[in-house]
Amino acid sequence: MAKAADPTAAFFEELATRTDEPLLRKATGATQLEIVDGRTVRRWVIEVDKGRISVRKGSGAATCLIRADKAVFDKVATGKLNAVAAVLRGDLAVDGDWRLLVRLQRLFPSPPRRRGRS
Amino acid sequence: MNDGLVKILDGNTFVVSDERGDIEASLTDPTGLFSFDTRFLSRWILTVNGERLNPLSVDDLQYFETRFFLVPGTGTVYIDAKLSVIRQRAVSTGFHEELTILNHADKAVSLDVRIDAGCDFADLFEVKDALKKKGRYSAKAERRKLTLGYERGPFARATEISASAPARYDDGGLTFKVRIPAHGEWTTHVDVVTARLGAGQAPFERQDPARVLTRMRRNLERWLDDAPRVECDWDQLKATYRRSLVDLAALRFSPPIAGGRSLPAAGLPWFMTMFGRDSIFTSLQALPFTSELAATTLRALGDWQGVRVDDFRDEDPGRILHEMRYGEMTAFEERPHSPYYGSVDATPLYVVLLDEYERWTGDRALVRELEVEARAALRWIDEYADLQGTGYIWYQRRNEETGLENQCWKDSWDSISFRDGSLPGFPRATCELQGYAYDAKVRGARLAREIWKDPELADRLERDAADLKRRFNRDYWVDDDQYFALALDPDGRQVDALGSNNGHLLWSGIVDKSKAKAVARHLLGPRLFSGWGVRTLASGEARYNPIGYHTGTVWPYDNSFIAWGLRRYGFKDEAAEIAAGILDAAEFFDGRLPEAFGGYPRSQTKYPVQYPTACSPQAWSTGTPLLLLRTMLGLEPYGEHLVVDPALPQDIGHLELLDIPGRWGRMDAFGRGRVDVRG
Repeated sequence: MAKAADPTAAFFEELATRTDEPLLRKATGATQLEIVDGRTVRRWVIEVDKGRISVRKGSGAATCLIRADKAVFDKVATGKLNAVAAVLRGDLAVDGDWRLLVRLQRLFPSPPRRRGRS
Repeated sequence: MNDGLVKILDGNTFVVSDERGDIEASLTDPTGLFSFDTRFLSRWILTVNGERLNPLSVDDLQYFETRFFLVPGTGTVYIDAKLSVIRQRAVSTGFHEELTILNHADKAVSLDVRIDAGCDFADLFEVKDALKKKGRYSAKAERRKLTLGYERGPFARATEISASAPARYDDGGLTFKVRIPAHGEWTTHVDVVTARLGAGQAPFERQDPARVLTRMRRNLERWLDDAPRVECDWDQLKATYRRSLVDLAALRFSPPIAGGRSLPAAGLPWFMTMFGRDSIFTSLQALPFTSELAATTLRALGDWQGVRVDDFRDEDPGRILHEMRYGEMTAFEERPHSPYYGSVDATPLYVVLLDEYERWTGDRALVRELEVEARAALRWIDEYADLQGTGYIWYQRRNEETGLENQCWKDSWDSISFRDGSLPGFPRATCELQGYAYDAKVRGARLAREIWKDPELADRLERDAADLKRRFNRDYWVDDDQYFALALDPDGRQVDALGSNNGHLLWSGIVDKSKAKAVARHLLGPRLFSGWGVRTLASGEARYNPIGYHTGTVWPYDNSFIAWGLRRYGFKDEAAEIAAGILDAAEFFDGRLPEAFGGYPRSQTKYPVQYPTACSPQAWSTGTPLLLLRTMLGLEPYGEHLVVDPALPQDIGHLELLDIPGRWGRMDAFGRGRVDVRG
């Protein structure tokens, strides 16, 4: 993905174009994301039904809540920060269904390569 | 084993103290209260009127609770003790301690009872490597509690200490002013609670310690009740079996995503976490006794299966994880364990376990549930593991700072060597990996044909497996001495030392029938077989050392799979001989087999010399007696039936394994010792 001006928004836009995601075929449930940008909180809901993804802005019933600063989520959305490490660190707050988080972290892109594969 | 340390645990929360119940951890030693790979208490010292206490005895009640009997005074003479102190401790979310002081005098006493408390919040990796901390510490004493804290940016961990009796809390502990009447007693309950993992959570999770304890006791009873029973003439075998069951119960670990189900963690104290390789091998060993560990292992490892190319974590799509950690260094990406994927055997072994699990349980639903994961694992073997494009599994780490150099089970720096002791470069293709790949393809083909209904995939996997077997028997066979080389080096040359890996090759089925006899002869021959078991590296090799970690010691787990391999090729007596040696050795360790012991000839030492290691009990050593029971009785699922084909060492006499669970319901197996072993 090219460097977007708003990586978080770009991530959700791209996600909304995916209909079937094989990596999430075992996941079912809704996740509320709250991205804190200064004084505003931007909200998205990702709903997964056995791999079928739907993304919408706003709030809704969810079994998993993920909350992060936009600066943090920008990095996660571009693969520069590993989501699991961010959770352990406290940069990404998670409440609720951990299993859903473990599934969702599969959606984030690979980090930049360190060097060519030998 | 008798290292003077007392350990209790529940999952990945554990307490290691001295025999007084005190904790005085230095940065480099593994005492303290640990949870999720973080030390939550590094100092916990009880004094009465300023005096340390002396241990009279320790009662290991269960793996999760213990009782210390103490008297004041640090000398060896305490005949005049007028006081007794009883500390009963159980793990909960942290630990719970019941402290009782008995006054044996005929007049009242006034006492200053003090507990010094402190914490360095070390990451287990820091304890192992003695590293310095980067964050800020805090201590907050209030009227009813003391809170010790650590913060590094958003990363925060805390320990809360409180007691039921009135106490004065200060930054370094708590003091009770106690008056005990003549022949009276005083009791208080002290709780140490760790901050819960994960931000955005309530900082402390309180559970009623009494209820936690009841739950753990019931759970252990049920675990023991559910397991098959062993009846035999040899009492020590019964004791070893029971020890194994209890230790395996203790090593169960429920990862945050497993919904309360558990899998085997690798070992206490360093390895109370999910390891791909160790969890799989232990689940395989335990299958005839319980299938729950295998099911959870397969699900949890499937959940965390690699999906992307990440050089720092040595992750590829389809790869099964090596190790998962939750501590500070992992959180700040100073270590890659979130999770780390640097092993190359866990992925093919994942498919092996899935097939073996179905053969025992008949649980086709799980095989269907994990079809995507198993297919991805099989693809990984061909698409990502063949670094040289030669049709073999190779390994070379991409994370050169904190990744693992040797990604096979013999993971020490000098484990893979030529006869002359020189070490090969990277990438390396150790032999047992090719065996696992072969087995994964053969078993994957069965699953594809019978359960996934994909005959095309099944045909291809079978063709690939046959081709791999043919090439392997040509490329790895050391013709002049009739065994398989340890590995191929980057130039495709045989790394030609003789090692125990040959036994794993029998287990995998990759060995040509015509070569099996020569391999078995080596495994039981004087260079590899010590009398107790098969050495990791044969005597006579340049790097052979009877106390070299992977260069001459005997690993019980290794031997259990070698015995299984020997049975697979029909060498029943040889398998019985190995079982006899390892089970004899277990007797010297009170039924708890260590990770490894010295490779000295049995005739020379008369007893097995334990390798000095801090990790005990260790899961795959704990699983060893279970797998040896299977190999001795010749248990093999065959369709809907369990086949029993015993070949027992003579000394065992009569052996019964009752209520073996499986797709047949429950079944019994009987055998009588007839194999004359050397011993």
